[in-house]
Amino acid sequence: MRKRFYLWVLFLSGLVLIAYISLTTYKEKTPEWKKHQAEYKELLIRNAKDEDIRKRAREMDIRLQQLYLGELNRIDRCISCHTGVENPLMADEKVPFKKHSGDYLKNHSVERFGCTVCHLGQGRAVNKKEAHGIGRETYWDYPITKLEFIQTSCALCHDLTFLKDKGGEKVVAGERLFRQKGCKGCHKLEGVGGVLGKSLDGIGSQPIAYFPMRYIKGEQTVAQWIREHEEEPRRVVSDSQMRVDVTPEEADFLTTYIMSLRAEEIPKKLRRLTGARLPDEIKDEGEALYKMYCIACHGSGKESVFDDAFKRTIPAITNPSFLRVADDKFIRENIEEGRAGTQMTAWKSAAAGLTEKQIEKIMRYTTKDRPKERPTQFGYSGYKVNVNKGEEIYASRCASCHGEYGEGGIGLNLRNPVVQNADPEMLAKTIRDGRESTLMVSFGSKDGGLNAQGIADVVAYIRTLSKKEYKLH
Amino acid sequence: MSSETIDKTEISRRSFLSLAALWSAVLPAIALLGGIFRMVKPDVHYEESIRFRIGTAENFPVGTMKKLDDKKVFIFSTDNGLHAISSICTHLGCIVNITEWGFQCPCHGSRYNQNGKVIAGPAPRSLSWHEISQDIDGSLVVDASREVPAGTVLKLKA
Repeated sequence: MRKRFYLWVLFLSGLVLIAYISLTTYKEKTPEWKKHQAEYKELLIRNAKDEDIRKRAREMDIRLQQLYLGELNRIDRCISCHTGVENPLMADEKVPFKKHSGDYLKNHSVERFGCTVCHLGQGRAVNKKEAHGIGRETYWDYPITKLEFIQTSCALCHDLTFLKDKGGEKVVAGERLFRQKGCKGCHKLEGVGGVLGKSLDGIGSQPIAYFPMRYIKGEQTVAQWIREHEEEPRRVVSDSQMRVDVTPEEADFLTTYIMSLRAEEIPKKLRRLTGARLPDEIKDEGEALYKMYCIACHGSGKESVFDDAFKRTIPAITNPSFLRVADDKFIRENIEEGRAGTQMTAWKSAAAGLTEKQIEKIMRYTTKDRPKERPTQFGYSGYKVNVNKGEEIYASRCASCHGEYGEGGIGLNLRNPVVQNADPEMLAKTIRDGRESTLMVSFGSKDGGLNAQGIADVVAYIRTLSKKEYKLH
Repeated sequence: MSSETIDKTEISRRSFLSLAALWSAVLPAIALLGGIFRMVKPDVHYEESIRFRIGTAENFPVGTMKKLDDKKVFIFSTDNGLHAISSICTHLGCIVNITEWGFQCPCHGSRYNQNGKVIAGPAPRSLSWHEISQDIDGSLVVDASREVPAGTVLKLKA
């Protein structure tokens, strides 16, 4: 009886094994690409113009095809399914049999460049899901680039000056937007730029795992992440402070450009980079620099804006009454050293990476509308100040906007070193005259209700703020 | 008697079971062995293909010669048609230069005539002629793994 039991076990497990092996063999013998190639062969025989081509089509053997790209260190098997990519007879067929669109292959022969160098995806894979790397349960870091972003790849080997009228309009437009929307105000690129955001060097080759995809509505790719993050930063990253205002079309362009910032370098032999730059890219003038580094936060600089994400007011830096009291030295120091405790970065070469010359140009640009007339002197040093009195006045008149400890809110942060070390004369003048078109009224005017002595006391108190402990409520 | 017949069928059933069990073990084993031997011959190799496209016939106007350095081959286009001659010297594998009378190897001075036949030097064999054919899409394909007798040309239709 025992023997019989074992025989049954052996028989049944043998059956299971046979079933498994036949299934595996069947799967192995009928891969996706074989079906595609068989269909391609039929198409060829049907489309053949003459008997000669038909004969050759009949002789075509169906086999795994690959491009060995020694120079690029890649192996692309895409042509196992996309067999007709170079065949002019296949111009009107459907994908995957279709010939490559445009005349790109004329100068980028498949033999030499392959496919994944432009389109990305997993070249060695032999089925669609793994080769394209898009969709659920695909684990390839560089999924196939959507055609809307494909110009990204052109910029790897070609200058923007070359691309601007040769099919690279999107990436060129993206680069221009990148400069004009002030992206580098927060994002470092090649060592220059602010520190609030992530550095963008090589972002195009960063793996998907670096980008939390939870709130992405579209396809889960890095490009899509970047696009949605440009459109709605705080939906994608809840604590993002990014200030960006782009139309969907602009987001497309910007994404195309940003994705072209890749770490990988195409071999020199295959690249056509000369280092030539667009005419308006070279311009190192105040306005261009202001747009590149400042405009994202300060905008036109004429109005002060309360920013929800920053939880503070962004000052109006070209406000005439500010320019009237603030001298070049003060403004230059603000740009160079930044404002500690706020989002304002230190722009000196050791920090955000601007040269002294560039900072000078930005300062010249922002102060170009400085009113001619100077404010009357306050004469702070002539007053005998009473800090305690100043504290009382501060608590009743200033704290509601500037915060109990001067930490800022609707009003600016007064604890930071730049204000603390500023000329008291300037502070006094500001309190006396206020700031036009902002919430900072003129406290020295009839309605302001502070006399000169009171202003001097408050200034004295403000200058002690940084020594007070800042307690969160 | 009856008990004997029952016994017999019992035995034959059992032997059927043992046979089936045996075969259900042997068959997968054979299939697996077959699979293992199938692995010996790969579908593709991790190396430069020795069968390569060289573009369409337009790239090779009649009366011209092209030296494809990275593919190590000369492509000649004559009135008769196209032919491809290897540029690898049969002596020690240097790349031969083309001269007005044929080919000359810079390493040890082997000389070949215009058809690649050895005329001087240490080279043991003539330069090989590769098969050249036209693919379905009209592009030319050189197969360096297939040697053709000297003088074979690919005639192109006008």
